[in-house]
Order: sequence, then structure tokens, then C-alpha cells
Amino acid sequence: MRLTEQQLSELASELDQVKAGVMNQLGDKEARYIRRMLLTQRLSAISGRILMVLGFLTPWLWALGVALLALAKILDNMEIGHNVLHGQYDWMNDPVLHSQRFEWDIACDAGSWKRTHNFEHHTYTNIIGKDRDFGYGLLRLSNDFRWRLRNLWQFVTYLVLSTLFQWGVSYHELAGERVFFGKKKPDRINSVSHSDLKKAFFGKGARQLFKDYVFFPLIAGPMWLWVLAGNLLANMIRNLWTSTVIFCGHFTADVHTFTQEQCEGESRGHWYYRQILGSSNFTGPRWFHRLTGHLSCQIEHHLFPDMPALHYLTVAPQVRAIAKKYGIAYNSGSFLRQYATVVARIIRYSFPGGLATRA
Amino acid sequence: MYFHILEVEFNLFLVYKCALKLSGRTSVSKTISLWGQSLCRQFSLMLVNQPKLSYYLHPLLRWSKPGVHPDYHSARIVDFRWETDQMLSVWLEPVSSWAGFTPGQHLLVTMMHQGRYISRSFSISSSAALFTQQKQIRISCRIQPQGEFTQALAAGIATLPHLSISDAMGDFVLVPQADTAPEESIVMVAAGSGITPLWSILSSIRCWTLPVVLFYCVKNAAQAAFLAELKLLSAKQPLFDLQLIETQQTGRLNLVQQLQDRTNFSVHKAHYYLCGPAVMSRQYSEDLTQQGVAAAAIHTELFGLPVAASEGPVKQALMIQQGKVISVEAAAGVPLLQAAEQQGLSPRFGCRIGVCYQCVCQKKSGQVLNLRTGQISGDGPEQIQLCISAAYSDLQIEL
Repeated sequence: MRLTEQQLSELASELDQVKAGVMNQLGDKEARYIRRMLLTQRLSAISGRILMVLGFLTPWLWALGVALLALAKILDNMEIGHNVLHGQYDWMNDPVLHSQRFEWDIACDAGSWKRTHNFEHHTYTNIIGKDRDFGYGLLRLSNDFRWRLRNLWQFVTYLVLSTLFQWGVSYHELAGERVFFGKKKPDRINSVSHSDLKKAFFGKGARQLFKDYVFFPLIAGPMWLWVLAGNLLANMIRNLWTSTVIFCGHFTADVHTFTQEQCEGESRGHWYYRQILGSSNFTGPRWFHRLTGHLSCQIEHHLFPDMPALHYLTVAPQVRAIAKKYGIAYNSGSFLRQYATVVARIIRYSFPGGLATRA
Repeated sequence: MYFHILEVEFNLFLVYKCALKLSGRTSVSKTISLWGQSLCRQFSLMLVNQPKLSYYLHPLLRWSKPGVHPDYHSARIVDFRWETDQMLSVWLEPVSSWAGFTPGQHLLVTMMHQGRYISRSFSISSSAALFTQQKQIRISCRIQPQGEFTQALAAGIATLPHLSISDAMGDFVLVPQADTAPEESIVMVAAGSGITPLWSILSSIRCWTLPVVLFYCVKNAAQAAFLAELKLLSAKQPLFDLQLIETQQTGRLNLVQQLQDRTNFSVHKAHYYLCGPAVMSRQYSEDLTQQGVAAAAIHTELFGLPVAASEGPVKQALMIQQGKVISVEAAAGVPLLQAAEQQGLSPRFGCRIGVCYQCVCQKKSGQVLNLRTGQISGDGPEQIQLCISAAYSDLQIEL
């Protein structure tokens, strides 16, 4: 490790200052923004579902409906759901936007998400053996993992995972807890019983399936097949988009990994250091950032997970300057370039060996 | 209006209500009612991932009424007036779904301030007649120099279109006439803004049968709200006796002494209504109890925050877990999560450093100190992170 404890504690205090600068000023602007997002999401969901039924006039209306429903699901999952569940808007004291009460339009139960994502992934980011989000137990993305035969076709696994991403996310905790298959890991502390996990998984999943593939097709009458296909397509577009955004934030070429020994009893400064090295950003126009839920600024998100996401863009230059000052690599590039390195990484580690990515 | 329709949640609700009427038997109707409620909830969860459809549609409805809280009723601000230089009266017209009130009750008022909902409870200060005739109520708020809510209200009152209000709550109401003996009388003590529920009660009495004496304690007459109205009432109504106590001149009211000096008055044959700061109400009820007055005859309403200390004695946190109340000793500066665990409780937790928000739970009353920011919370209900909150006063928390 190149930074001394002294430097790390200075790094922590500088980043804390950046955070305080934003958090002390939260008010009308952020509240208006997220409420406008909520309104956009509601309007596009409702109009999308109506337009799909009007597809009998011209298929173009159906296509527009699918696009609007996909947009609604993307906004619900990314800019609203993901960020609200991080507690970014808890200060508003609004029951519709509170992390403790929020539930989203995705197969994954919000409680399960908070345990695996907010706690496991954000606390132990990229620590091999602790952060199961690094490869999701399916993909070999660094040479920290032993090569297995199944890694040979992991690019296909990746494509399937992307298409069914919401189910992967939903099953993630049950896989970690070995609810159905495998032997339980001795060091894993579970706070929720297996029966509760199963109840949440099947309950939420069934509700989502019933809504999109039974209820709405049924009330669409003769247009049932169009609506069913449209819902399937909208869900798939959302799956591919969320998966791509997340992969571009975590599995680009220069993302580093850590060992458990490196992080034992780590300081706040080292946690920050690990977050910068464990994530990557990509650039694009304003609307593009909004569609990613501002996870295009994954580094800022990992440093300040409870800061309202619209501020990530404004603090990014400060974070970049601080990273440069301490000589920490700040991984940013265009969306296409970052995605190309993701694909390259998945393919490279399909084969034995590969460069070490350890920080 | 919209909200009222939405609460009905399609015809499902109506169907089970019909079944309810037909069944007649309470145990059966209760089962059907619970079943219907759970069905509505499941339907709404399936359709929009919210426990109520109104939560989903709230952003659309808020378009016409910005700042209205989804859990409460909206109330249009009709008018406002400064009663004294510190007390602001606001006339509200609640939506038709608001159920009304009994004079003396209070309600939780919520407004949007700098993007967030803040709440505070106020007594209704208007008569029952104002509501039955004009569908209006009035709240009267003492503007606190340090109070976030009252300051925001005073600053924004000229431009605010709406406030959100809860149902009326509380049992600080006049004992029904049937329960009082004919020779009894009523003694009221109001301190400062404590006059608000009492004035609501007094102005709502339509048929005077009992003598009422009101001890109205204020610093000086200029700070006495509703004084002109009270004087008018005492001139018109021989059974009403107004005693204005200006504490700047005469010092604190000695209630027992004053009562003993009255002719034709027995302390045991009266109902007492005390409203003011907690310290005052407690003092007078103790005095009266010592005189042998039954506890059932003493009615109190507490106003204002209890004085909170940042350090010193251990606080009591009542933690409610699935209906069971557990008392937790919370030392100053110790996170509530830790205090709860030492007591053998196991609330939900995650990172324990305020990052993951798994331990957020509902505080029902009391103040907490945020150990990360050093901020002290308000006294009302709100969500707190257990792992970074320490007790700043006695608390009630729903785990």
C-alpha cells in the first residue's frame, strides 16, 4: 500500500469536507428534483401501459408504450429506487420516499436489497470473499479466483445474467445464504431466517409476475398478447440497461480488488481509498446520467452512498482533484470505452491466468 | 376528496363492506373486515408496490396541492391573524374527509419546509360551531424563537396555500354533563398559550349549567390572547368568572389558596382542567391531589418541550417491539442500538456507522442526539437511525 495512515486520515478529512459541503445545504432543490422524477416515472408508467393497449390503432403506439414503460421501470429502479433505498432522501421525512418503507418495481425485495447491496457490497466493496457482488458467484473477473471449466463459457453466462438481471438480483441473497443449494459458509452471519428469505423472494417475485403477465394482459382483453409481449420487452430493456450500467461501474479494466487481510480493521481513510479504486465512472450528457441513476458517477456514489445522487456530478471534479493529489487512480472514460473494457475483462478471465488486479 | 376516493380502493372494499353488513355477527364481520383490508393491501402491493394506491398517485395529486402529506388531510389556509405579538392564529378549511373534533382536542400539523415534512401538534382554538357552520377550524400557535416549525409557519404564512392535518386526538375534553353532579363546578387554569384548548371548550359551551372559573396566567395583559373575547363572555355570562393573573405583577398563582378564598366553593366538588407547561401542570395537580382531589377530576394537557439535558442522568427509552414495551436504559452519548442490545433486544442493524440505513425506525416521542452531526432532533414522531442516535430526553421508539 502506497499511502501512509497519516495520508489516509488526511484523505478522509478532505472527502468528509466535500460531503459536508453538500449535505449541509440539502433542501428545496433536491426535494423538487426527486419529486419531479417521481412524477415523470408515474406519468410514463401510466401512459406507457395505456398506449400499449392502443397498439391496435397502429403498432407505433404500442412501441411508444413499451419505451415509456421501460423508461418508467428504469427511473423507478435507478434514479428513484436505488437512491431512495440508500437513504438519500430520508431527511425529507416523506413516507413515499423513505428507505424504510420504499418498495420498487423489480423482482428483488427491498429488504433483501438493503442487506446485500447497502450493507454487504457497500461496506466490503471488492474485498474478495466478502463482497459477493464481485462476479456474483458466477463470473471470474480477476485472478484472485481459481479458474474453473465453467468460466470458459462465462460470456454466455454474462449475457443470460444481463437479460434476467432482476431475477439474479432477487436470488442473490438466497444464493449467498445457500438457502436451496450448497453448504453454508461458516463465517456468514445471517440476520434473517431462511423461511423469511423464501417468503420475501417468492412473495415479491409472484406479485411482479402476476402484475406484468396476468393482471395487465387480462384487463387488456383482446390486446392481451400485445400487452404481455410489451411488458416482457420493457422488463428486458430495463434488465439489460441496469446490468450494463452496473458492470460499467464495477468491472472495467482498471477496477482493483482487495484481500481480507488488507482491510482488517481498516481506517475510514482506507475505506475511502478502496471505494475510489473499486469503482469506475463514465461520461455522457445530463439525461444519460439521470437514466443511470447517476451511477455513471459510481466513484462518487461509493464514497458518499447517502448523498442525493444529483450532486455526484457537482462533486466529481473535487473528488477527482483529491484523488490526483494523493496519487490514487481515478477511473473514468466514455461509456463505450468503459463497456469495451468490461467485455474484454469478462473474456480475458474466461481463460486461466490473467493480470493481478489487487491494489 | 381525491384521497377519500382512493382510500376506497376500487370495489373490493365495497364488496366486503356489504358482506360485513349482511353477516351481522361481530366476530365474523371482524374477520371479513381484516380479510378485506389485507386483500386491498395485497392488491395495491401487487399493482404499484405501495401499501396504498394513494401513495402511488400522490405525486400526481400533489400537482394541484403542493406540500400535502400523503398520510394526512389537506387543509386550505383561509385567513390568519396575530393575536398578540407572539401568537399567530390560522383559520383552516379541512377537506371533507376530515372527521371533526371535540373542543379541547389537538392535532398534528404538517408542513413542507425546505423540502422536508416537519410536524408539530397544536390545540384547536376555535368553537365547535365554527366547524359545523363554516367547515373551518382555527389553530393558534405561539411562535417559539428556537422552534423550526413555528418559525417556518410565521415566515411562510402569507404565501402558504395549504397545511396537512391529522385527525383530532386527545382526551382533554369537557366531562359530559350527565357525569357531573348538579352542585359541582369547573376550574380551569391556563398558562400562556395553554389558553387555546380551554378557549375552544369555553366558546363551544351552548348551554351554561355549571359555574366555571378560569385562572388565566400570563406575563402581562398584552401577552394574553383572546382576552377581549374572554372579557366579553364573562360580562355576558354570570356563571363564568375570569381571573387574569399577571405574573409580572402578582407573581405565580397560588391555586389552592385562591380556591380556598372563594365563597361557596369546595375543592372536592369540582373538575379541574390544567393546560400549560409540563412543570406548571404537574405542580398544580400535585397540590390538588394533596388537598384530596380525586385524580379522575384532574384533566391536564402538557404544552412545550420538556427541558432536555445533553449529559447527566441516564434516560429511559421505551422500545415497542411487535406491541411489547421494553424499557431500555440509555446513557448520554451511547447509541440507542447499543443500548437496546445491552438490554437483550435485537433490532435490525447493518453497518453500525450510519451508512446502510437498515436500523432506521420510528421514534414516537422524545429528542435524540445525532452522534454524527451533533444535531438534536425535534420532539415529534420521525424516523431515526438507531446506530448513530443517542437519547437526549426520555424516548418512545417503535422497533
